[in-house]
Amino acid sequence: MDLKSLTISQIQELLFSKQISAVDIVKFYLQRIKKIDPQIKAFITITEKEALKQAEIIDSKIKKGESVGKLAGAVMAVKDIFLTKDIQTTASSQVLKDYLPQYSSTIYQKLIDEDAIIIGKTNTDPFAFGGSTENSGFFTTKNPWNLSKVPGGSSGGSAAAVAADLCQFALGTDTGGSIRLPASLCNISGLKPTYGLNSRYGITAMASSFDCPGVFAKNVADLALLTKITAGVDPKDATTIDNPVPDYSEILNNVDLKGLKIGLPKEYFIDPINTEVKEKVMAAAKLFQSKGAILVDISLPNTNLGIAVYYILVPSEISANMARYDGIRFGRNTDNNPDITSYYMNTRGQYMEAEVKRRILIGTYALSSGYYDAYYTKASKVRTLIKNEFTNALKEVDVILAPVSPTVAWDIGAKANDPLQMYLVDAFTVCINVAGVPSVALPCGFNQENLPIGFQLIGNFFEESKILSIANQYQQFTDYHLQTPKI
Amino acid sequence: MKITPIIGLEVHVELNTKSKMFCSCSAEHFHVDPNTHTCPTCLGLPGALPVPNKTACEWCIKLGLALGCTPNESSFFERKNYFYPDLAKGYQLTQYEKPFVINGKIKIGDQEVRINRAHMEEDTGKSVHIKDNGQELTLIDYNRCGVPLVEIVSEPDITSAQMAKDYLLKMQQIIRYIGISDADIEKGSMRCEPTVNLKIEDNDQVFYTPLVEIKNVASLTGVQTAIDFEIKRQTEAFKQTGEVKSKNNKNTFGWDADKNQTFLQREKEGSSDYRYFPEPDIPHIEFTKAEIEAIRKSIPELPDQKFSRYQKDFGLNDYDANLLVSDINFSQIFEKAIGQNPTPEMAKFTANLFLGAIKTYLNESQESLDINKINPEYFKNLFDSVTKSEISATVAKQVIIESYHIGQDPVVIAKNSGLIQVSDSGEIEKLAKEVIAANSKAVSDYLKNPASIGFLIGKLMQASKGSANPKLAKEILEKLLN
Repeated sequence: MDLKSLTISQIQELLFSKQISAVDIVKFYLQRIKKIDPQIKAFITITEKEALKQAEIIDSKIKKGESVGKLAGAVMAVKDIFLTKDIQTTASSQVLKDYLPQYSSTIYQKLIDEDAIIIGKTNTDPFAFGGSTENSGFFTTKNPWNLSKVPGGSSGGSAAAVAADLCQFALGTDTGGSIRLPASLCNISGLKPTYGLNSRYGITAMASSFDCPGVFAKNVADLALLTKITAGVDPKDATTIDNPVPDYSEILNNVDLKGLKIGLPKEYFIDPINTEVKEKVMAAAKLFQSKGAILVDISLPNTNLGIAVYYILVPSEISANMARYDGIRFGRNTDNNPDITSYYMNTRGQYMEAEVKRRILIGTYALSSGYYDAYYTKASKVRTLIKNEFTNALKEVDVILAPVSPTVAWDIGAKANDPLQMYLVDAFTVCINVAGVPSVALPCGFNQENLPIGFQLIGNFFEESKILSIANQYQQFTDYHLQTPKI
Repeated sequence: MKITPIIGLEVHVELNTKSKMFCSCSAEHFHVDPNTHTCPTCLGLPGALPVPNKTACEWCIKLGLALGCTPNESSFFERKNYFYPDLAKGYQLTQYEKPFVINGKIKIGDQEVRINRAHMEEDTGKSVHIKDNGQELTLIDYNRCGVPLVEIVSEPDITSAQMAKDYLLKMQQIIRYIGISDADIEKGSMRCEPTVNLKIEDNDQVFYTPLVEIKNVASLTGVQTAIDFEIKRQTEAFKQTGEVKSKNNKNTFGWDADKNQTFLQREKEGSSDYRYFPEPDIPHIEFTKAEIEAIRKSIPELPDQKFSRYQKDFGLNDYDANLLVSDINFSQIFEKAIGQNPTPEMAKFTANLFLGAIKTYLNESQESLDINKINPEYFKNLFDSVTKSEISATVAKQVIIESYHIGQDPVVIAKNSGLIQVSDSGEIEKLAKEVIAANSKAVSDYLKNPASIGFLIGKLMQASKGSANPKLAKEILEKLLN
């Protein structure tokens, strides 16, 4: 049976009506991965054994009439920075090659507890440092829509896996756009939740005050289903917030588009935006207008400071977060060092990728005495300004609509040697992370080369249900999200 | 040339909370198999996060309040970045800009030492250097990694090694009084790093010698000896080189307890760049006024207050009062023994027993007192009997120890052992006549020199096996001889 393009609820219908078994589902995806992934290279590890074992357990539960989890039969790919107990977790870095974690990340475990099936661990920029997967310590993932293009990043492997139908949904993280950007470049839906909604426990830390784990799926309805499961306070992550988690699926159509005020921030529709991207995103806004929404021109004047703030604060946190990778308790190490300092320098020097070193250097510099106030303290103050800008704007409008990426997917290698150009691909996504508010990215068309274009809906803190509801309604009027790459 | 030492102390105290500072591992690490009290968080594994131990934070504030500090309205943790194998995460969580409490003081006699701050942090693991088959190995035990530590930083108000020792003793007393740590320097649950330099006044000129921080002092005597050594060393060094303190000549000296001398560890160290920044994994911590007041209320009577009360209520002198309050356990047991609302006489009587017979006994036997075996009624009975001269002070000292051991009323013990004082004058007169008859030499001595009656009293007491009332014995002897 061809299961291609099925959403979670569609596949569960087949499973529960016993037209297929969970093992059938897993075998279908394993076959696709074996056939297609050599071209895409979305996966670092394929967890065939674990997937089949989980599927057998689910099948036996169904056979015995026992209750199964809410995600029974749903096959997921997991960004390789999520720790998965006894399954190699590399963070796409040579530093952690062959590393077998002793414990699992909270939200991965929550999904497994609901009988989701892990099919593999996906490629990313090392420790999620990048926007294209080109920094990966192993290989670059290709965009399923055009194999010469990047999938976006850092969660490029997860996005490509969902887009190429190598799984039904995937886990990613978004520190500066790492879910929304690849979702947008690969024509799938992705949610960057409010900071503190999803636990960060068990995910290699990039920038602790920015990192937002979230999900990729084929449509917004699946995002809602999955977020209900991942969200919520975690006693092991002190930054998670103890709010009741709404049933996002139940309230997917609750927001009335009539009279809904949608803010269009002018700073997101100017240079460096590509004309075709701008047209498609404006068309999405117009569609909402045709359904009764009111488009409001707004301004977020500090947007142009976002990248600067981001590239001071994020590397600062990275410089400390990367210190534990010293080769002493885990990870790879080097031999024949005369003393401990050489041990550190050789181990970290040999295995850390160039972008990892670059960010440690930038962060170490920014935190150094004499520079701290000029960089870290100043950037923290601007961060507050940007946050206030969003909360103030969201008093005037219900939601903010903006492009995700200034351009469509670019050629592999085009920006690989120019870190600054690469940093700018996040121009329209970083401010959302700086502020900590939620944003959902979803497809809204293609350019002339048939490369996907996406837009994002940004809400106030913990307004996931609102933005998911608006995004879901958009998908009921459009079929962009149903388009799949010919691969 | 006038020399005034300028001494500041950094004291680290390991809290005896059940769990570690940022994870739920047991905080016990003394005599525990290596690396058995560890988890992803205290091992600094990828993805693991710290969650602060609320009790530890409260205890830090409690100590601060006991030291007269003011709590900061909002505090946060910061990362102190440096590489060392026993520092799992590559940074230590501590407080730099906003410690929990600031600006307190400790009274040392009639002097005061200001406290700059007390802040919360985590301990590191332990590196163990061994030789295995001729190979030198460094092994790391992470059991201690993440154990809650409070660091108390004094202002440089201490002017002598003795005063530094007194400061530490006082600190230790207060910590033990509020019960947040055993504060044992030898066990390492209280650690101290003195920073020493000298103010030298010479012919209207004032010089300050370079700052020296002394590490590895592992006992109270060590602190005192090390500071004294350092004062002498700096005085000599100044005389020879004339080097004075500058912005970047703070040196670190180690203390060698075997050779009783300090040795240079790190020279001319500018302030290390630890690149402190706020810990993003932990939200800011705020205690409400009500929470702070609740913590304040949980602070028991502190040594200074107890000292004054003992003096005022029981008429104890400085020395006795100080001895009783110096050890919280000892004073708690003492307070149980005197019962509720004791008279000053009863309290003083009991204090003497504790400071005399009981303390001597404890020192000799190396035992410690069990508060559950203390019965205030026994002490009361004993006091009454002594007051009524039924039991002599000497006997009281003997029977109180036995009473403690066998759990019997000391007065009953005295009676059963025939140690009740004989105040029957007929009985004593009989014995006195025998003594006079048997000691003619002493009698003639007495007649020449009445002050020598002590010998005859002694003989009489001996004959009565210590049970005669000595005052009565003297009176009767005098009556018979005159």
